[in-house]
Amino acid sequence: MPTLTIDGREITVEPGTTVIRAAEMLGIHIPRYCWHPGLSIAGNCRICQVEVVKPKLRFPCTVSCNLVASDGMEILTDSEAARKARADVMEFLLLNHPLDCPICDQAGECLLQEYSYAVGRDKSRFDEEKVHKSKRVRFSEEIVYDGERCILCTRCVRFMKEVAGEEQLAVVERGDHAEIAVAYGRELTSPYSMNIVDLCPVGALTSADFRFKSRVWFLTNVPSTCTSCARGCSITVGARWEKIQRLTPRENPDVNRWWMCDHGRLNWKYVHAPDRLGKALVKDAGRLAPADTDEAVRRAHQLVNRFVTKRGADGLFGLVSARLTNEEIFLAREYLAGVAGVKNLDVRPRTGEGDDFLITADKNPNSLGASLIGIAPEEGAVGLEGFAEAVKAGRIRGAVFFGEDVDHDPEALAALDSLEFLVVMDYHLTETARKADVVLPGVTWAEKEGTITNVDGWVSRLNRAIRPPGEARPDLSLLGGLLAAARPEEEGLDRPEAVFEALGKAVPAFAGIRYADLYSRSGRVAVKAAAAAD
Amino acid sequence: MAYKTVERPVLTTAEKLYLPAVMKGLGLTLKYFLKRKKFTRQYPEEPTVVPEGYRGLPSLVKDDEGRVKCVACSMCEWVCPPEAIRVIPGELPGDDPVEKGPKEFELDTLRCIFCGLCEEACPEEAIFLSETFEYCGRSREEMIFGKEKLLEIGGVRAEGVKKWKKEADAGFSRKGPRR
Repeated sequence: MPTLTIDGREITVEPGTTVIRAAEMLGIHIPRYCWHPGLSIAGNCRICQVEVVKPKLRFPCTVSCNLVASDGMEILTDSEAARKARADVMEFLLLNHPLDCPICDQAGECLLQEYSYAVGRDKSRFDEEKVHKSKRVRFSEEIVYDGERCILCTRCVRFMKEVAGEEQLAVVERGDHAEIAVAYGRELTSPYSMNIVDLCPVGALTSADFRFKSRVWFLTNVPSTCTSCARGCSITVGARWEKIQRLTPRENPDVNRWWMCDHGRLNWKYVHAPDRLGKALVKDAGRLAPADTDEAVRRAHQLVNRFVTKRGADGLFGLVSARLTNEEIFLAREYLAGVAGVKNLDVRPRTGEGDDFLITADKNPNSLGASLIGIAPEEGAVGLEGFAEAVKAGRIRGAVFFGEDVDHDPEALAALDSLEFLVVMDYHLTETARKADVVLPGVTWAEKEGTITNVDGWVSRLNRAIRPPGEARPDLSLLGGLLAAARPEEEGLDRPEAVFEALGKAVPAFAGIRYADLYSRSGRVAVKAAAAAD
Repeated sequence: MAYKTVERPVLTTAEKLYLPAVMKGLGLTLKYFLKRKKFTRQYPEEPTVVPEGYRGLPSLVKDDEGRVKCVACSMCEWVCPPEAIRVIPGELPGDDPVEKGPKEFELDTLRCIFCGLCEEACPEEAIFLSETFEYCGRSREEMIFGKEKLLEIGGVRAEGVKKWKKEADAGFSRKGPRR
């Protein structure tokens, strides 16, 4: 194993490790444009040059991304020679750069800005006319390319080839006319194409969705988890004015590495849809009327309690969403199975197309969590499939839907009319909710805190990025309210951390995971639920 | 305790009468009344001329081609200490190299403290503190000035940064026609 010295600090690395990676392990940041830990080495931007003191080279500086560490090597990353080499590279890269930072979306997270500030010069010595290239080229619906800002690092080209597995981008033309373009005869259709926007170290590739919406330094960045499928990619939610502006993937070696799919990235518009519930609704003389939330929670419990006392729990059906967090599902089970004794519990499955990379066929983010906690019809009990029939047969006469609807199934939807009572908790007014006696205003993933268990059993955190609309409350607090109404003598349970602790005690798969460990901006963001994978 | 005895002044008869001193004072008043320099201005009939460098209401300017100079970079919004500015950027049509401009530009004149940091921060020389100090409204909403109003106050400034003009005028590049 070679031992080398970087900036006077010794490190022993695996054979074959490059110097830039070795420096990374020491916490030394070497500038880079074309190099990315998730892509192959291109070595074309030359900004990562370092001074090699030992062994003696013909020229003192060379690129560290393609330099394999050898025993006894001595590297200086910030010597005068290294800085000079980088300054010269910067000058070349900026020769034809339009310097339109006030307009460019990348400003604030642009590597050109950062390294120019570090080693660049304050004035350009270039007094010729700059080369003009194509601007605002639409690579696809979602991606806009600006050739003048591009430094041709080919990160995007390599991503499409190596990670997305579809060679749809290429470098075209030669010399100073070279540009990135959609390869001849092809279209940029990969479901992972928008990752090239994050990968682009400059402002050449921008997202059409986020384009000119907000400068990046205004965004409040909250670490969270994508809920568009069962993969649960780690993401960062960029919000401003209590509105989501963009979602970007967050590095997580266990789940999504550096990537996420385009669908997940753009699937946040419904959070700001006009049909969001801002107030609880209670049926009054056949019509839903706004009500106080606490009052509605009490009313919901009253309906359940009366029904169970009169008819027993066998006539009650509980639908718990697998889009809720582990904590919420746990409290829902506590309430439905624990308090009311309901045996007819089910989730609504959602399936779609999946692939062998990130997108899973299961579109519920927390299916595994729901099944681990035990949301499934017991032997002989009514599940969602037999729900409509059971209502017709008079077996089911009341229902509670937590975070879920049956809008997809006209038969089930029609069956709701013949129920004695229906309680719905949801974040928007679905067709199902319109038929309810009590509608409790829940929130979406962006407005609450909790954990979800992904398809492989990794538990990751959701964090509150924006305020819920009106009087809507995190579902956990509504469920906590129901439980408190049922067991007034017990201490209330509606803090995510406390519920997670209780969950760990009740469900062995979650034992041994500390809630506080899950929230971290760096390092390990997901902890494997012990028994989950098998 | 240490103390000092102050002798009372001995007044003359004239002084004891006070009247001569009163007359003297009135005389001085009369002198100034008759031959004073006038400082009072008949505002608002007579408009006020503000000194050079006066910091009035921030305003947006257009260049001599009638183009809004602001590119909605939001530096003013960022620097503004009382957070009086709110810029909503939008994409500009056509293929001008300036792709972005303010869709909305709001200045809350009730919040503005006339510090001039927006003018200092602006990389495009598009916002200036004008000489306007007279503005009013009947509600708080009316006191939030929009883009059109700010452009009207700012008027035209031909000089200064016209970053895009130089190259656009040349029309061609040494390396061949513009693509």
